[in-house]
Formats: sequence, C-alpha cells, structure tokens
Amino acid sequence: MRETRLWSVHLLVIPIIVVLLGAHFAVMHYAPVFYGVSIEEARNFETMIERGRSVAQLVLYILLLAAALYHGLYGLRGILRELTLTPGLGKIVDTSIILLGLFIFALGAYVTWWTFSFKIGG
Amino acid sequence: MSDKTNTPREITFRVRRFDPDTDSAPHWSEYRQHVHDGMTVLEALHQLKAEQEPTLSWRSSCRMGVCGSCGMFINELPQLACQTQVLHLGTDVVSIAPLPNYDNVKDLVPDLAPLIEKHAAIKPYIIYTDQIEIDSPTGEFLQTPEEREAFSQFTHCIKCGLCLAACPTVATDPLFLGPQALAQAYRYTADNRDCGMKERIEAIDIFHGPYQCHFAGACSQACPKGVDPAFGIQLLKRALVLDSIGFGKKKSLLAKVMPLADVVKAIEEFAPPPRTV
Repeated sequence: MRETRLWSVHLLVIPIIVVLLGAHFAVMHYAPVFYGVSIEEARNFETMIERGRSVAQLVLYILLLAAALYHGLYGLRGILRELTLTPGLGKIVDTSIILLGLFIFALGAYVTWWTFSFKIGG
Repeated sequence: MSDKTNTPREITFRVRRFDPDTDSAPHWSEYRQHVHDGMTVLEALHQLKAEQEPTLSWRSSCRMGVCGSCGMFINELPQLACQTQVLHLGTDVVSIAPLPNYDNVKDLVPDLAPLIEKHAAIKPYIIYTDQIEIDSPTGEFLQTPEEREAFSQFTHCIKCGLCLAACPTVATDPLFLGPQALAQAYRYTADNRDCGMKERIEAIDIFHGPYQCHFAGACSQACPKGVDPAFGIQLLKRALVLDSIGFGKKKSLLAKVMPLADVVKAIEEFAPPPRTV
C-alpha cells in the first residue's frame, strides 16, 4: 500500500483516539465528576461487567483498541524501520508488526466481547 | 581599496586526512597559515596545498558557489568552502572535514554517489505523457509567473549535497531519500507542464520517502542557495495526500500548448527594437 495512505490513516485516527480516550477517562477515572459515583464504585467488578454489556461500550472499546493499536504500531514500525538498513529486514519488520497488531486486536476484541456477553450468575 | 591589504592573521587549520591506500582510519593534521580578510576556506586550502601539503585532496571547480563541488564540514557545519570566509568564522582554529553522511573517498572528498542516485530515482525531469505531442510538437507550453512561482525556489538547487550532510534522518537511515531528492520531486510535480506524479509515486511514496522527515529543518539552514527543502517536503506530502484521495492537481496541458504560429507572432510582438549602432 502507498505510504501516503498508511501515514494519513495514522493522522486521521488521532481525533478518534482523543474522543474515545476522553470517553474512557470520563467513565473510568472521572466517574465522580461525570456520573456522581465514587471511583471504587465505578471500577468494581459488577459495575464494569454491567457497563461492558452495553453495545456503546463494546463499540467504544473495539474502536479505541483498533485506533490506538494502529497509531502506536505505525509509530513503532517507523522507529524500527529507521534502524533497518536492508529492504529485506524492512519487510520482516512490517510483517511482524502486522501480525503483532492482529494478535493484540484479536485478544482485546475477545476480552471486550467476553465482557459484553457475560451473564452474571450464569 | 581591497581588504586584502590588511595585515594577515595566523589561523590554525585542523584538517581531517584520510588516504585509503595508506591509512586504516582518518586522522587530524594541523597547519598554521596566514589568512587575510576576504580569503575563503577554498583559497586557504589552495594556499595550504601550494605551500605546505601538496598531497591534500578536495573537490572544487567554479569558486563562486555555482557548481556545488566544494561542500565541506567547516567548523562542524556543512558549508561551501568557496562561500565561507575564514575570518568570518570567528575562530583561531578552523576545522575542516569531509561532509558527514557520505563515505569518504580521500581527505576532504566525499562520495556523492548516494546523492546522485537518489536524485535520479525521483525522475528529475518534466514528464509529458502525450507521445504524439512529444514526437510532433504543435507549439510551446505556457507558464504564468504564478505557476512558475509555485516551485521557483527549488530550481536553485545546485546538488552540492550539504542538505543530506546536515540531515539527522539521513544519519540514522541511509535509505531515506533525503531533502534534495524530495524537494526536487516536488519541484517537478508542481510544474504545470509535468504529468509525472504517477510515475514518480513508485519512487517517492515509500517508507523512506517524505514521511520519514523529522522536520529538523537542518537542510534548509545548510542550503547555500537559500532553498528551503524542509518546506518542499511538506508541500510534497500535501501533494501526495491530495493525490491519494483523488484531489490531485488536475493538469490540462494540451489546453496550454501555444500553437507555433502564435509563438512566432509573440516573438515578433515582443522583439527588441532594431539596433541603432
């Protein structure tokens, strides 16, 4: 793929990360400010599972996972490939980054889906 | 009256020497030399070679900042030796080394092959895709002053290679196309007579292309001709992004061809007045 597209996407996901990370912070770290509940209450198991079963939460975290992973791994690839002196090694770095990204995404998506489909007491 | 009548000042020149036939590694040699006001580093080197060190090697030609041959690392900055006055450096010790980020051929001679190869890779010429017009020209291409202004400064590049020597990205990533080639890629794609974006993309839209630029700006500071390659790289990024989403510059070159008959008419119209002597 043209580098321009990869680079453009890495910039385009920045506002997505800012918005979704803001939502994550609002729920997890500033719950007393936005929802009037204590931090402990916002983070206890039942509350998290309850929240995790909403479609909004599922979409938010899968999107945030994809956007942050892409942005972070694109940056990591840039650092690694700048140190890479042969085109062959560059391709190995690219492939490794893609595989790493897919693995982490699959893992994160599985956890998010598991939370979404979790049945308390069942 | 020339300043050369001023009393000469003695300056120490620390010159990095390397002869691949006899040396295993570069070393520094020191020479003391009288320098007068207005004397360039290149003149000082010529004097040094004539009076003290006949084996000293460097590359130079025009002595007027046009050919771009005499780029050297003078007092830790890439500069043209013919454009740098010794006393303007303001130091009693002047260090002279070959340009960094290049292999060293001998003494102060860098191997500029990577510069030329990268420059050639971006197809640094106007690419016109209408083969019929190329084979049988029907006229001349028009270019307004505004269209020329879009890339004018980048035409001043003399390929001295100082920008690549100054570039921190080239230092860590030798495959990076570098400011010279990328600014020239912009120079040609921005030219309204050029249709070569598609052909150039293969060479420039790569990992080691414009997106590797860290925007240190050292290339623009080093350029002896006042070109701003760092800016050229940013303009090239914009052109590539617009092209990738289908908003690239649309060129209607054929519409801009001026028929030969009109060219002759224009030449007659703007012809200088007849000679009076």
